[in-house]
Amino acid sequence: MSLLRFENVSKSYGDEEVLHDVSFELDAGDVEVIVGPSGSGKSTLLRCVNRLTEIDDGAIYLDGEDVHAMDENALRRRVGMVFQDFNLFAHRTARGNVTLGLTEVLGLSEREATERAEQYLQRVGVADQAEAYPAELSGGQKQRVGIARALAMDPDLILFDEPTSALDPELVGEVLGVMRDLADDGMTMLAVTHEMGFARSVASRLTFLEDGRIVERGPPERLFEQPDHDRTREFLGGLTDLHR
Amino acid sequence: MSVDETEPAAVGELPGRRRLTVLAVGVVFWAWLLARWAYHNAVLDRVFGALGAPDLLRSEVPVRNREPWLPPEPFASAADAVASLGLPEVATGWLVWLLDLVAFAIESAPALAEGAYVTVYLTVASMLLGLVVAVPLSVARVYGGTALSWLSLAYTELIRGTPLLAQLFLLYYGLPLAGAIDSVDLVGSGSVPGAAVFVAIVGFTINSSAYQSEYIRSALQSVDEDQLVAARSVGLSKWAGIRHVVLPQGLRYAIPGWTNEFVYLIKYSALAAFITVSELFGRADIIASDTFRTTDIYVIVAVFYLALVLTTALAMERVSTAVAIPGVGQHEGDR
Ligand SMILES: Nc1ncnc2c1ncn2[C@@H]1O[C@H](COP(=O)(O)OP(=O)(O)OP(=O)(O)O)[C@@H](O)[C@H]1O
Ligand SMILES: [Mg+2]
Repeated sequence: MSLLRFENVSKSYGDEEVLHDVSFELDAGDVEVIVGPSGSGKSTLLRCVNRLTEIDDGAIYLDGEDVHAMDENALRRRVGMVFQDFNLFAHRTARGNVTLGLTEVLGLSEREATERAEQYLQRVGVADQAEAYPAELSGGQKQRVGIARALAMDPDLILFDEPTSALDPELVGEVLGVMRDLADDGMTMLAVTHEMGFARSVASRLTFLEDGRIVERGPPERLFEQPDHDRTREFLGGLTDLHR
Repeated sequence: MSVDETEPAAVGELPGRRRLTVLAVGVVFWAWLLARWAYHNAVLDRVFGALGAPDLLRSEVPVRNREPWLPPEPFASAADAVASLGLPEVATGWLVWLLDLVAFAIESAPALAEGAYVTVYLTVASMLLGLVVAVPLSVARVYGGTALSWLSLAYTELIRGTPLLAQLFLLYYGLPLAGAIDSVDLVGSGSVPGAAVFVAIVGFTINSSAYQSEYIRSALQSVDEDQLVAARSVGLSKWAGIRHVVLPQGLRYAIPGWTNEFVYLIKYSALAAFITVSELFGRADIIASDTFRTTDIYVIVAVFYLALVLTTALAMERVSTAVAIPGVGQHEGDR
């Protein structure tokens, strides 16, 4: 059974239909990369998965369970999220950012949580910065803490919303490196990113979203080499040029 | 800010030597005040008694009869001496007045110390209780549904829109509150103050909670909304997110506003005198009617208020530094 399934999902803000009849599925261990122009509904699609946004039509299933029928906090415990602007808790250290969910949501003791946090900060390579506050970290370090925060909850799936687009170019690599390692470890990921090198080498599927519709979806090589739609070629071509 | 570069913005920013002077004066003032409070403290007196320590404290002396620790006479005689020199009034008048004032200040100081004691615990208690009320009020205002936020708004506007003195009068004379408090055996016996003090604390708590909640509300609103989104994305409930993420940041942003309110309340607490509480202003009033030296006593009591206000500002500066977190509160907070 697929880990995540979108079934004819639609979402409107007022008169504006932001997602139109979106269907796709994702198996455990898959890395799905979503690309699309600004305003095409990529963030909205991600936020529907953990119900930061509620859909109007259709259904989303996590491991066969309708997410709409789940308790939203229980759902979010199983679906991690990494944000473009990091959204680290400004008043907590790197370690504190990771422990909050562990103590408050998973009910770990302060000590267990600290141990687990250290372990995950180590894994993303910011163990030395455990005591630092977000304002004292570089963008790349912040985002790696953001990933550790999501990862430490031991989620079934992690959502990445343009995790590298707020970073200085020289810091992008360290974050992509961590994501690559996660993919190698079999983490299921749904990532909005315009890093085409990453999509090419890591993604199991690439989805091109435009105006809230899936224009085309398939293995990245196929979309790059022989897309069915000219629009896909045009868009991906533009991205690749941009990032060369 | 358009403050002149050479003008220090706060006592804490004074250059070295002047800062030291202010601190030294503060230390002497507080050492004296604390010693004075201890000297007439009934509980401490009893503890000393029980321990078999020498009977040093004088808690039984009524406030009016308390003796100053410095003799006022030298200043009074110096004033007389200067006056008897027969120099023109314009040349020496101010010196005579000042020396007389010092003598008068020394005589009134023990009673004013007692009044300051009441002022301090009245304000501190009301600020802290007010904070306990203000936090849920402001959270309700920002994060409550329509009904809760409307209730919170109605409360703050009602309280902020009516005079504090009217609120105190209503509580003290209009409602059976004082009687109810009085019927508790402990009230007014031994070292427990009378009902009026409790009514004043209730009144100030209600009043300051409304103002505090306005400061905290605007501080909460200055916390980036994405902070709560991030908390929720980890699986925290809305209330857990508010408690663990929004409040710790928002309350830090609120410190400058909260300090303002604290300083206001120190001064507004003088209104407690109108419902018979002998706090600082009340004591000054009693002395004024005993001596008819109205202007002089108000000048002296103003110095006491100034000392309390400056102390609060400095202490809150310390608190603000102590709880400071890099990246939190340096921007929006410093309005
Ligand atoms: N809370 C909201 N209320 C109203 N409209 C919204 C809201 N969130 C998103 N939208 C609109 O929905 C559309 C899709 O937004 P979304 O953020 O999903 O796009 P995106 O593909 O992530 O774009 P970007 O690349 O700029 O991040 C946009 O037109 C946006 O203005
Ligand atoms: Mg987006």
